[in-house]
Amino acid sequence: MRKKIGSALVVGAGISGIRSALDLAELGYQVQLIDRAPHLGGTLSQLDYQFPTDHCGMCKMLPLVERDSSSQYCLRKGLFHENIEIMLSTELVALEGEPGKFQATLRQKPAIVDPERCTGCGECSGVCPVEVADEFNAGLTKRKAIYLPVPHNIPNSYTVDLATCTLCGECEKICPTGAIDFRWEARKEFRILVVDDELIVRDSLKDWLTEDGFQVDAAESGPDALEKLTKQSYHLMLLDIKMPDMDGIEVLKRAKEMRPDVAVVMMTAYATVETAVEAMKIGALDYVLKPFDPDTLVPLVLKLYETVERSGEREMEVGAVVLAAGFGSYDPATGNNTYGYGEYPNVVTSIEFERLISGTGPNEGRLLRPSDGKEIGKVAWLQCVGSRDIQANADYCSSVCCMFSIKEALLAKERTDGQVDAAIFYMDMRTFGKNFQRYREKAEKEYNVRFQRSRVHSVEPEGANGNLRISYTDLDGAGREEIVDLVVLAAGQRPPAGTEPLAEMTGVELNSWGFCQLQPFSLSRTAQEGVFVGGSFSGLRDISESVIQANSASLQASSLIHSKGGGLAEATEQSPEFRDVSRELPRTMVALCTCGDTLAQAANFDGVETAVSALDSVTQVHRLERICTQEGWSQLEEALHSSEANRLLIGACLPYVYTKKLRELGKTTGLNPALMEVVDICTPAFPNRNSNPEQVSREIRTTVAMGVGKVKGMEPTPPAAIPVIQEALVVGGGIGGMSAALAIADHGFGVNLVEKEDELGGNLRALHRTLEGAPPQELLEQTVSRVEKHPNIKVYKKSEVLQSLGSAGHFLTTIEREDEGGVTLEHGVAVLATGGKEATTESYGYGQSEAILTQHQLEDKLHGDSVNPAELRVVTMIQCVDSREEPRNYCSRICCGSALKNALYLKDQNPDIDIYVLYRDIMAYGFLENYYTQARQKGIIFIQYSVDDKPRVEVENGQVTVGVTDPILGKEVTIPSDLLVLSTGIVANGQDKLAQIFEVEVDQDGFYQEAEYKWRPVDFLKEGIFTCGIAHSPRSISETIAMAEATAQRALRILTSDRLTAGAIVAEVRHSLCCLCEKCISACPYGARWRDELEEKVMVNELGCQGCGSCAAVCPNSASVLSGYRDQQMFSVIDAALEEMF
Amino acid sequence: MAKTAKIEVKEQGLVDSMQGFFRTLLEKGDINALLVPQRLPRKNAVMPTLVTDPEKINGADPLAPVFPINAAKVVSKLTRKPLHGKVAVVLRPCEIRAFVELVKLKQARTEEVVIVGLDCLGAYGNVDYLRFAGEDGNGSTQKFFQNALSGKGTAWEGIDISPACKACDHPIPENADLLIGLLGVDTSDHLLLKANTAKGEAILDNLKLPAAKESEGRKKAVDALVAARSAYRDQMFEETSEATADIEKLTSYLSECINCYNCRVACPVCYCKECVFVTDVFDHEPSQYLQWAKRKGAVKMPTDTVFYHITRLAHMSTACIGCGQCSNACPNNIPVMEIFRTIAHYTQKAFDYEAGLSLDDEPPLSVFREDEFQEVVAKMH
Repeated sequence: MRKKIGSALVVGAGISGIRSALDLAELGYQVQLIDRAPHLGGTLSQLDYQFPTDHCGMCKMLPLVERDSSSQYCLRKGLFHENIEIMLSTELVALEGEPGKFQATLRQKPAIVDPERCTGCGECSGVCPVEVADEFNAGLTKRKAIYLPVPHNIPNSYTVDLATCTLCGECEKICPTGAIDFRWEARKEFRILVVDDELIVRDSLKDWLTEDGFQVDAAESGPDALEKLTKQSYHLMLLDIKMPDMDGIEVLKRAKEMRPDVAVVMMTAYATVETAVEAMKIGALDYVLKPFDPDTLVPLVLKLYETVERSGEREMEVGAVVLAAGFGSYDPATGNNTYGYGEYPNVVTSIEFERLISGTGPNEGRLLRPSDGKEIGKVAWLQCVGSRDIQANADYCSSVCCMFSIKEALLAKERTDGQVDAAIFYMDMRTFGKNFQRYREKAEKEYNVRFQRSRVHSVEPEGANGNLRISYTDLDGAGREEIVDLVVLAAGQRPPAGTEPLAEMTGVELNSWGFCQLQPFSLSRTAQEGVFVGGSFSGLRDISESVIQANSASLQASSLIHSKGGGLAEATEQSPEFRDVSRELPRTMVALCTCGDTLAQAANFDGVETAVSALDSVTQVHRLERICTQEGWSQLEEALHSSEANRLLIGACLPYVYTKKLRELGKTTGLNPALMEVVDICTPAFPNRNSNPEQVSREIRTTVAMGVGKVKGMEPTPPAAIPVIQEALVVGGGIGGMSAALAIADHGFGVNLVEKEDELGGNLRALHRTLEGAPPQELLEQTVSRVEKHPNIKVYKKSEVLQSLGSAGHFLTTIEREDEGGVTLEHGVAVLATGGKEATTESYGYGQSEAILTQHQLEDKLHGDSVNPAELRVVTMIQCVDSREEPRNYCSRICCGSALKNALYLKDQNPDIDIYVLYRDIMAYGFLENYYTQARQKGIIFIQYSVDDKPRVEVENGQVTVGVTDPILGKEVTIPSDLLVLSTGIVANGQDKLAQIFEVEVDQDGFYQEAEYKWRPVDFLKEGIFTCGIAHSPRSISETIAMAEATAQRALRILTSDRLTAGAIVAEVRHSLCCLCEKCISACPYGARWRDELEEKVMVNELGCQGCGSCAAVCPNSASVLSGYRDQQMFSVIDAALEEMF
Repeated sequence: MAKTAKIEVKEQGLVDSMQGFFRTLLEKGDINALLVPQRLPRKNAVMPTLVTDPEKINGADPLAPVFPINAAKVVSKLTRKPLHGKVAVVLRPCEIRAFVELVKLKQARTEEVVIVGLDCLGAYGNVDYLRFAGEDGNGSTQKFFQNALSGKGTAWEGIDISPACKACDHPIPENADLLIGLLGVDTSDHLLLKANTAKGEAILDNLKLPAAKESEGRKKAVDALVAARSAYRDQMFEETSEATADIEKLTSYLSECINCYNCRVACPVCYCKECVFVTDVFDHEPSQYLQWAKRKGAVKMPTDTVFYHITRLAHMSTACIGCGQCSNACPNNIPVMEIFRTIAHYTQKAFDYEAGLSLDDEPPLSVFREDEFQEVVAKMH
């Protein structure tokens, strides 16, 4: 594994956080990944299905090169990477220092359950008397106070929710592995001083807190308290405000002088709340309102106890910080709540619906109504709840809800075989991403999801049976109603809790809605150098964009660390030498964990031991009490050391946990970890499986025998080392290509930048203004100048790629230079950033009059002063020209923004111009919504038209008249226009030719086809080739730059070493058996196989191969095999599995 | 619209007129060679023969009711790599269908081949045929067709065409460039020659044969034959399913198998260079046998008989075209074809695929459909 000098902190372990952490870890940095939740995965842990495949796919983020450094199982279940330290239930509490050398202070909530010991058996949960709403199922189910935060984690250890725990201690008593420790002893040492002039308060507090194990003293007045403080130190003081001799504020001041460390909580009556708040400014931690009962006071004290006493604080130095703190959700119960959320049980949020329909949700995947469990027949999704709502201080679009709701509607349809009636009530259906429009049409046309353009004003109960009546205004202004079983609210996004303190601490700025403010033309840089943002923390994003943005953030972080001198310098690490056992007969040592006494009681262990000893190749069997403990592990290590065994099989629990430990064991014993295996013998003995000892023993025997069969047949070969040409080829010199080239070159690697024109800049050369105001031409100048001066970049202008050969790590590409002839370049990776172009059109009279322009042409003419706003009276714009219908059935994403930009500019120059924008859906996603609002406020008229009733254009003597049906009036409106501006959208620009040369795919619209839309948005299926910018799909300048940085990040994974190690498990071809049927080539999901025509052989790219084994499965005669899974070995395993059955 | 012409028969008889046609084809058809079943000297065995000299065509008898091997394998040998010449191959429908599968498995290429397909009325098993042909090869062919086409059937002195042929619902060649039609044709006068592809048309034009029309009766004759065979086939499926319904029955069905692997050698679509059953994969540790024996007290040797057949079914039932060569090759008369066709029928149905039908349908294991077999993979949350 590679190790580099430098480290980074990633705050938030949702998709973006994990992506950034993996990125940095893959480059070799040490990464600290923290999350305040007790589990990984953020929001995604609650989502089973994602658009557009309606499956998960998170595992596709796992490393593809050097993949043995990381865990290789479901990422929703957990993550392990050699270079990542994960701290859960942890928050960043301070960040000091300077970019490249920050001091970060992290605070971790105490772990009452030791995850190393917890086997997840669930005994504790069984005895817990508490039942509360389970946030994992969005409150739709109940859980205990000791619980699994996410049901599917591996390893999955229980967590105690101290806020609801009654501290009865039953779980601690029943835990079979002694994993639970409330540390009652430590609590006795926590001294609390209660200060109150009323005896009853003093006494009852003393009673309650003593019962919970604390040591409590009482003082009847201020002076009394201060006297006690002089004699002894206290950890916590509960201080009354209103006392006769000396009031609480005074006591607080003096106490803090004497004992600055004492934590103080004010006790106050309602009348003096303001004083209590004042007290917090001079050092009190919190206050409680009188009168109080044990239920409110004790948890508060416990919380303070945990934070003050037991939280571990840790300081560390990091070079850069990535904030991926995610997002919060609008609570629809706040505000007017005309939809009755929280009042009617059948009104739920999108996330609640997601849980409702989930297989791990309350109804195991059946679509049942929360109020009465009745089967749901009719569902309404209401869009823009707490988004696009100025009253809710949300003049922005939450960007993802449209697709989220369509996906949920489709899921509902699929779950019920189309029986459910699904309707989406929306204002604009914002299908602005790649393939979104077609997904919407699939929902509408194939699945009959109803799309109802309208705004619902209220939801009310219809009778007492749980049905709901939704009232809305139709397009024609008429009031309508529908009766439904369930209403799903697409609740908008809010900044996550704790954003403000985090911003203050880290120095990032927030925008007017409280989201992180980004720097112009960047989706990851903040006002604070060295602190970057990934994912929805700066505005809600879907998975694909979160991934791109997280890539961009990690790239920026890496660039910063690199520029500060850490960077990609290799920190040498000796790879361990293992004993050569290839000529020895297999001798297997089996170590069985008895899990204290638990397993020994649940099974006949003597019988197991005898049976296992008799297995072929087993030379010794050890019974160890608890392998998971340090002591048990040392015993195991000792036993292995002193034995002659050349295979090791461990029978214990949670095999995944051992990956790292086995690696260490390999180093200390010299036995290759590839000859070791761990099998789970604990699960058969779980109490809820209701098995008798004989059955448990049989299951354990079978499991161990299968493991022995597997280790016996292991014949590890050293993983192949693949040489890498540490140079990149970037095709396309627009802003995307240039940004990618710079990002790679800044890391010290050579870049060949190929541009077919005689100038760099591409489409950016034609842009003069942006909606947000940052000047694009400055960006262009700076970027071109940096590229041309960069010592690591060689620019080939007026050049085109002719052909390319090779695979990841080593390509040979020939380019043709117009003036100087051909040249062949060697490179390890390639970035295809060839852009797109504005579409031309024959619609709407284009070409018949000089007054009919495209948006680009208008911008150009405004810039060149050939159109003078002062001379214009009426300007009409038509959106979606030839777009969002077949054959160009996609949204070009930027046209609505361009139209808003040009319209606002015209209005700004001449407020008297009448501007009409004829649109289908305004795609003002994210904070663009704000400009849409501004445009309407400035009197720009937006008229919605439908695709069946398009605007009509008449040109007479150069005079343009536009006719359109106004949906509100229901009548045709004619608009004589001085200018008609057409938003023609973006089309591909010859991607298919390059795609053929590089053997990658294009989609049906001619744009590059990524490996996977959500999880690998900039990769091609073929490893080593990446794409960014408009060549992939239409996008804005900053989105293109972010994507370019993402390609650079992906490219650097390969470029940073001159040699990459293939995975231990890769496919190979036994050529003498291969009959070249190529089934394996079509079966390979990674495009890692090809037929070498010269050699007449099927070849495997070991970097691309992920060891999935599909090729081995389709090959009829085992000519294609997977190392580590030989046929005979698998036969032994199967035999062992069947041994006890037949 | 397909182009048609006639191969005149008149008084010369079927075999001679066919030979005459092949001579013309070699001379005028713009081809370098012809692969055609020829009667070998001395014995009456009929084997595919690659002919370049028109004078050496006089043993050709593609109508002889026998095909000792499925010639698709031979065509694969000829076309696996560039041949540097064009060859016309005379094949039975099942041979063409096997060829189609081999092309899809990249074991053959269509580029330099012209396929001449023949209506097939069935064939006898190799041993039966030698008895049927006796001393008079060509005469027996004439006799077979006279009987079969006139409705007298194919049975003769206790022998009949093989069960595979009786169950064959594809007697008319598909995917042939040129088709020679017998069914519903007045074979005393002529044979029908039909060009199904551009390639076939070009050749047909070169040959300058008299024009002919496809008779009305042909379709009826074909339908009747297919109906009879389909009925036989369905009954066979039923009986075979019953006879192999569980592992005990299957074991007993295959109990005479001696692991000679002849069926595999004879199978035209079993394309591996070396079968997994002869590689090291099944080299079990000797102690393993003892362990198996211990488990039940006794174990039949060799141990992998049923496993072998199941493996071959798993590998090949998606490509099985039902030619019956496996049964033909079995020394112990195990109904191998019956079980293969039955299983293949259900496997191919499951994948909505029919082996040999079209070059464009991808073999099932080469395509990944995310939504298939929901009854197996769905609801796995």
